[in-house]
Amino acid sequence: MITLEEAHKNIKESLVGFPKEVMEAYLAFATKADMESLDKVVTGILQFYLAKAPKTALSDMAGTTRLREDLGMDSLTMMDTVFLVEGLFSIKLEDEELAKLSTLDDLRQLIHSRLPSISKTK
Amino acid sequence: MSQPRVVISGLGFVTSIGNSKSSVRDSLHSLKTGIEPIEFIPGVKLPVSVAGTIKGFDTQSMSWAGWTWPEGYTFARDVLRNMPPHGLYALCATEQMVADSKLSPELLSSDETALFCSSAGSPKLLAHYLHQIVDSKGQRVPPAGVVSTIAGTLNFHLAAHYHIHGAVVGFSSACASTTQALGYGFDEIRLGRHKRVIVVGGEEVGLEATYTFHGMRALSRQSDPIKASRPFDKQRDGFVGTGGSVALVIEERETALKRGAPIYAEIVGWGQAGDGHNPAISDPEGNGLATAMKRALRASQLEANAIEYVNAHATSTPAGDASEAYALKQIFTRAGVTPKISSTKALTGHGLSMSGAMETAFCALALSEGFVPGSAHITELDSVCDGLNIIQKTERFSPRYILKNSSGFGGSNVSLVLRSVVN
Repeated sequence: MITLEEAHKNIKESLVGFPKEVMEAYLAFATKADMESLDKVVTGILQFYLAKAPKTALSDMAGTTRLREDLGMDSLTMMDTVFLVEGLFSIKLEDEELAKLSTLDDLRQLIHSRLPSISKTK
Repeated sequence: MSQPRVVISGLGFVTSIGNSKSSVRDSLHSLKTGIEPIEFIPGVKLPVSVAGTIKGFDTQSMSWAGWTWPEGYTFARDVLRNMPPHGLYALCATEQMVADSKLSPELLSSDETALFCSSAGSPKLLAHYLHQIVDSKGQRVPPAGVVSTIAGTLNFHLAAHYHIHGAVVGFSSACASTTQALGYGFDEIRLGRHKRVIVVGGEEVGLEATYTFHGMRALSRQSDPIKASRPFDKQRDGFVGTGGSVALVIEERETALKRGAPIYAEIVGWGQAGDGHNPAISDPEGNGLATAMKRALRASQLEANAIEYVNAHATSTPAGDASEAYALKQIFTRAGVTPKISSTKALTGHGLSMSGAMETAFCALALSEGFVPGSAHITELDSVCDGLNIIQKTERFSPRYILKNSSGFGGSNVSLVLRSVVN
């Protein structure tokens, strides 16, 4: 897990210019190590990166929303998101796993599986 | 059938001396310098301490999301994502040019519109990304590390953003690049392949892009911005680096006239030649540049006496300026004529690959508004310039023909001839 100090450093290096909610969720994750904050960071990054950001917040969209077909996510956007998430949470997602991702839930669950000790309570 | 004629029909500026046509014009009139002190490494005193800085932008962050820019531009996030810092300058300059030229999205994406760009890429981002890759032992590879840093980065991003369907080309002949781009763009239109060619040059300013030239002692060690860049002065000691971006559109004349675009000047011919001498040092006698000028004049069906102003390449290096002075003498002094000559790099600093586009755009402004910019900061003219008419003040004067020189590493020399459309 990440320390608060690391979180502040990572925000400065990687999240400058991102929406405030993403930074706040990341700091909350550094304190609570909870799934809710983690998901907020991931969907917040994706929302910020999408060429055509959907009107509804990604966090409010159905978990079955498809990344490519419904959100228009291209392969470079996927890799940018993954690169940032890997850096922020010190995890590594394998290419074979990324190739299988189809929906928002798939992405969230893959990231959860890399952080097994996170708290699932709200 | 007569050959298509080629005009400059749109300009956009993000330069050390101004981020708009009007501010650039004012700086050229009043000889206001864009050079100021800079700390290439914060808190560290280095032998080089000035640069032609870009004002109104903050591109210090390694991430596009952290940048700020002047009011009046709106960019979607996905346009900026993975751009290099100077890509932002290029976008702003191109947006200005598009508005100035009244180019509709349909014209931009027509297959008759080409895009020619040049830049050194982004040494700053490249260094940052390579450190990440090495430090992580190959585990952290930035996804857009290649497209945002290599020399073609401006053409990659601008072509996608403006949906360019004509030719998309990058030029990498160092400081001759964008003058070459204008020349080849002229040929494309003359050959009937395209109706218009957008030419964009852009460069970063900073430690990685600028200070690196100190290795070969090409940069001025003067700390006073006024003394640092003084082309043709006896005491000149190197160039001052600058960046930014300049965008021009050159267009088939009838097409531009028909759609009511502003016509700044006509390009009538160009020429180029190599020095065959040294990777980084100009031929001491300026033979390559002299040949480029001869070819430009011949292609334009002009004699040397037709040229009334020369915008010199002169960067303020001892060797380079002398080489150009000898070349100018071969063409003009030998023909018994004394066109006005100046180097606007005294004000801007040397914009490397974008310098040709920047200075051709200055010439276009000068031709359309009836002035010639002076060569600033000269205290004592170098005797190598004896016989040359180096003007030190901006003059109200309407030249009919202007010659624009550019030279780059590898001995690439390019000359472009512009004609006034006013008289």
